[in-house]
Amino acid sequence: MSVAASKNDPVGFGHAGAQPRVERDWANAILGGYVVVFFTVIFLPLLFMIAAAFNASPTPSVTDWQGFTLRWFRELPNDQRMIQGLWHSLTIAAGVIVISIPLGLSGAFILTRMRSRGSSLLYTVLVSPVLVPGIILGVTTMIFWRDFFGVQAGLFTAMAAQSSFIASYCMLMFMARLQRQDRVLEEAALDLGASPFMVFRRITLPFLMPTILTACVIAFLQSIENYNTTFFAIGGSWTLVTEIGSRMRFGLSPMINAIGVIFVAITIIVAVTHTIMTRKRA
Amino acid sequence: MGDLVRSYGKGLTAIFVGFVVLWILLMIVVPQITMIDRAFTYQDRGGETAMLAVEIDRAYAKRFQLEQQVQQAQNAADADTGLSAPSIGTPSIGAPSATAPSAGGLPQPSASAAADGQDDVEALEAEIAELTAQIRELEAQEDLSSGEAGMKAEYSLRNFTTMSGIHFQIFVMTLLYAFCVTILSFLICYPVAFVIATTTNRNRLALMMLGLVIPYAINELLRIFSWIMILEKNGILNSVLNFIGIVDIDAGEGIRFVASNGAVFTVMVYAYVLFMVFPIYNTIDTLDKNQIEAARDLGASAWKIHTRVVIPHAKPGIAVGSIMTFMLSAGSIAVPEIVGRGLHPDWFSQLIYRRFFEADAWNQGSAYSLALLVACIVFIFATMAIFKVGIRDIAR
Repeated sequence: MSVAASKNDPVGFGHAGAQPRVERDWANAILGGYVVVFFTVIFLPLLFMIAAAFNASPTPSVTDWQGFTLRWFRELPNDQRMIQGLWHSLTIAAGVIVISIPLGLSGAFILTRMRSRGSSLLYTVLVSPVLVPGIILGVTTMIFWRDFFGVQAGLFTAMAAQSSFIASYCMLMFMARLQRQDRVLEEAALDLGASPFMVFRRITLPFLMPTILTACVIAFLQSIENYNTTFFAIGGSWTLVTEIGSRMRFGLSPMINAIGVIFVAITIIVAVTHTIMTRKRA
Repeated sequence: MGDLVRSYGKGLTAIFVGFVVLWILLMIVVPQITMIDRAFTYQDRGGETAMLAVEIDRAYAKRFQLEQQVQQAQNAADADTGLSAPSIGTPSIGAPSATAPSAGGLPQPSASAAADGQDDVEALEAEIAELTAQIRELEAQEDLSSGEAGMKAEYSLRNFTTMSGIHFQIFVMTLLYAFCVTILSFLICYPVAFVIATTTNRNRLALMMLGLVIPYAINELLRIFSWIMILEKNGILNSVLNFIGIVDIDAGEGIRFVASNGAVFTVMVYAYVLFMVFPIYNTIDTLDKNQIEAARDLGASAWKIHTRVVIPHAKPGIAVGSIMTFMLSAGSIAVPEIVGRGLHPDWFSQLIYRRFFEADAWNQGSAYSLALLVACIVFIFATMAIFKVGIRDIAR
């Protein structure tokens, strides 16, 4: 576009130091090539991992191909610790959603309506868990619950530790939505004699509903995938992800690749669905 | 606050405030205070109890070492029966070990080397059993003697000042590495974010966004794991080198890339690079592209366009990306644990883990955690000052 513009530039002003067209094409080609390399490096390791899940070799490998097999997938349901870990993960995730959504909503309501000087401080405190390393959240939660309530590290502390930062993420999402809210509707309902609770239930909540659903999905995924915080807060118990982590440390099995393939498949389905849906809406 | 009551009524407002107070107290502030309190509480383990405690700690450490050795011996034995060249003493991650049973299918250990390994393992296990008994005895004594009475707890800085030289060195190196990961991630990401944000082709844009979102959403551990397959001794990288003729795998020349600082560094960049792309992309995306065109038409060089137009606009994104990347890599436990195999020089997060779960020194562990936390806070404030952005710009 600018090329056309400068061509039609009658004064020739734009030509003073502008790059010649050929040079810019070169620059674009190099940039394009760089992006291709970037995506290749990002995806290649994942492709190797996927391929190795179907290799009959008992150690995950793509270079030593011993034939196609689905054995590693078939063995998954028989692995009691993994299945148990999956249940633990789902329990924690359910708890995290139940805790984070109300907390996130409350924080967002207060912060979007608060005009005083304290709001900046409150905001800083409430988003701080997002900016702090996960292991610190795990450590502090573990110490706190044991010192104050004698609760040993386990599923509950993992849930509390995860909720502390996932609630912050939810709050940020709700705040973004609330800032786009047209408050005329609420004012009108109040003027017409609706009770504040009625307004909240019939106007505010429906307005937030899509964001609440998205926040549930995000909270669920964040909880299931979390490793750093959970690793410290879980104590002697385990989740699917911490179990995968300890397997990786002790020696590799293609079963891990099989789990990886399932994770990747779910991720791709969710991501593609989301992209298609948002494009349709746009 | 009045605004809040007017909109939602007293009841709902009370509920909101109540939730937020609980959140702050139970999940943010008091846990932090507990940690800080422990960090500054030095337990002076005087007298007999202290001696016992030290002995118990030592026994635990010894037992842990022995267990590691068993692990190594088993791995070596497995490796011998497996495909790789013998590599006794270095744990090969190629073969599944006894602790990670992969149901059946393993070749029977037949070689004499494996039998030797088995003997070693048995001897070590006997030693471990002995130590376990010893630990139990010592712990019983500890309970019997003075209990907590022999322990004097007092506020002091000694949990910090007693940090050994090596631990302090690891602390500094961890921060330095995390800083390098952050810088490198930025250099890698900026062009990518720029290209994606300035793409006008909608299909290509959707494709590239998917290309970012999918690996971003795939679990951190799996992304790390995929690199181990490349870097391990029988891995893809060595196969490529073998093909080119630089190393000869059949002669056992494969280079062990895992468990080196370089490997940890590489995998960390790979694992956290995407946390840098998104914030930068989001800010460049809001830049009015006409500004770039205008700068270009007025004769600005590509360098000037970026340093004077694009980067100043993308500052908040760069700040967020840097803070996230630094925080994730400084506090990363997954990468050093899995890639490092406990062999490469430690990462600070691993030290914290061992203070808590192996040395049972919670107060010192708290002190170490606090040190890491303070380092991260300093980094956040420094970044905010350098890029001149406020907290509201950062967390969105």
